Amino acid sequence: MRFLGRGMDWVTRPQNYLGLGLVALLFLFPAFIKSMFYIQVMILVIFFAYLTSCWNILSGYAGQLSIGNAVFVMIGAYTSTLLFANLGLTPWIGMFIGGALAVFVGILVGYPTFRLRGAYFAIATIAVAEGLRKIVENTERIGKLNIGGAEGLTIPLLHHAPFQYQFVNKVYYYYIILILMFVGLYVTYRIDRSKIGYYLTAIREDEDAAQALGIDGRKYKLLAISLCAFFTALAGSFYAQLMLYIEPSGVGGLSLSIEMLLLGVIGGRGTILGPVIGAFCLVPVREMARTYIGTTYLGAHLVIYGSIMAIVILFLPHGIEEPIKKVYFGLAKRLGPAG
Amino acid sequence: MPILQIKNLTKRFGGLTAINHFDLEIEEREIVGLIGPNGAGKTTLFNVTTGVYPIDGGEIFFKGQSLNGIEPHEACSIGIGRTFQLVKPFSSKTVLYNVMVGSFCRVNDRKQAEARALEVLEFVGMLPKIDLLGKSLTIADRKRLEVAKALATGPELLLLDEVMAGLNPKETEEAISLVKEISRRGITLLIIEHVMAVIMSLSERIAVLHHGEKIAEGPPGRVSHDEKVIKAYLGDEYVIS
Repeated sequence: MRFLGRGMDWVTRPQNYLGLGLVALLFLFPAFIKSMFYIQVMILVIFFAYLTSCWNILSGYAGQLSIGNAVFVMIGAYTSTLLFANLGLTPWIGMFIGGALAVFVGILVGYPTFRLRGAYFAIATIAVAEGLRKIVENTERIGKLNIGGAEGLTIPLLHHAPFQYQFVNKVYYYYIILILMFVGLYVTYRIDRSKIGYYLTAIREDEDAAQALGIDGRKYKLLAISLCAFFTALAGSFYAQLMLYIEPSGVGGLSLSIEMLLLGVIGGRGTILGPVIGAFCLVPVREMARTYIGTTYLGAHLVIYGSIMAIVILFLPHGIEEPIKKVYFGLAKRLGPAG
Repeated sequence: MPILQIKNLTKRFGGLTAINHFDLEIEEREIVGLIGPNGAGKTTLFNVTTGVYPIDGGEIFFKGQSLNGIEPHEACSIGIGRTFQLVKPFSSKTVLYNVMVGSFCRVNDRKQAEARALEVLEFVGMLPKIDLLGKSLTIADRKRLEVAKALATGPELLLLDEVMAGLNPKETEEAISLVKEISRRGITLLIIEHVMAVIMSLSERIAVLHHGEKIAEGPPGRVSHDEKVIKAYLGDEYVIS
């Protein structure tokens, strides 16, 4: 009997059935936990896991540190929203147009900036993201088109309209983002194991050596930013449909970009599960801190966040993915043979 | 047709002329040595040939194709491989991963790339070390890895930049036999070296660079007794006339 294309003994190995168990838990979560608060938290956790995975393609694998990824979120959110509000186009299709537009912007930005290395590229990404955000913030309308400016845009309320990407019950959104996260993980997995992954890694480790081995640095960096931009934009559309309200600093702000970077670095750059682990460990902490301490001690959750970041960078510069992986496989070994 | 033709090559960095009207022709399967005091322009010559720096004057032809305006990754795909004087391993990745990056220059499938890399690693004698991380290798192994990566790209011309530097006598001997094996496989070699004994024994022909100019060229025996060469390396007092 075959499971996911592999023989039955694959499933009996502890490290595999443990993993499958975790996946099953994720899918069954709303069946056990009915509280909307916790479902919202998990939606946010998975949303950030997905977002950070996309960021990881450019800033982890390719090593081009981006602190401006929110610009792609904003493009996705605004594109699908404007197309829906003005042309009635369902966001299910609008999100792909947002994705394409994000790729276009990514390549436009990447072409001149990829000759910058390290911190200079990062600064350029901040400039682009903040620049575009400012433009949107200060633009009420373009001709007859209402952009919303700083007040943002509300998505026309339809209550329950599956074909228009709107649901009253948040559980729908939970499953959408969960599937999106697994899509993102799959894309990352395929990159990791393919020529693209090896080439991006080589560029990250030593671009001169990579060139000498036949790697066109610019071409592959543009590929990385395109993949990153496209999938990030999809998350932007998701967020718009979830919140039914978008405004520039929320979907395109520096804090969102920094969030992705924090989670990615703490989780583990250039690994498949690093971003997911980072998000699953830290976003609940943030949400709990914000709920229970944040209102009494404003910004306390950020202090906690920052402290964890400092500790991780000092002691685990490659992220928490590696030690957690060791714990996981150690547990698997104890559960049985072939662990 | 010579595999590499460098004609009247000039390379300037602002006011400094690093390479001055340099000519060199290399036939297929030859082993040619390139020597000269520090700062003579040897690595610069490698960099210009592989497209790292643009040509300012003159021409370079590889298998009849002009290398004018070529980019480094293009140089590799048309068949020019090179190693770096200060080795550049992908430190946080395994030896096998490192060489696989090279393999992907010729194949697209991961399994094929792995098989090709293993072949190369067997050839250079690093099979027992394929799972070691780049950063945990000794200097001799790093140099060997550097060569393996370049070999995986399937070069017809291989530019070796001081692969013997920093090796003890035994390691040097092993490196010499590796170079000879590479030549036996039909790869043309242009070797920069400072260790005189090595380059004298390996090369069929040696060109000597000094201040960017070729001051001598010929078989090792003749070049080592050339007055100008001795003067360049050791100064006037050592010339025996």
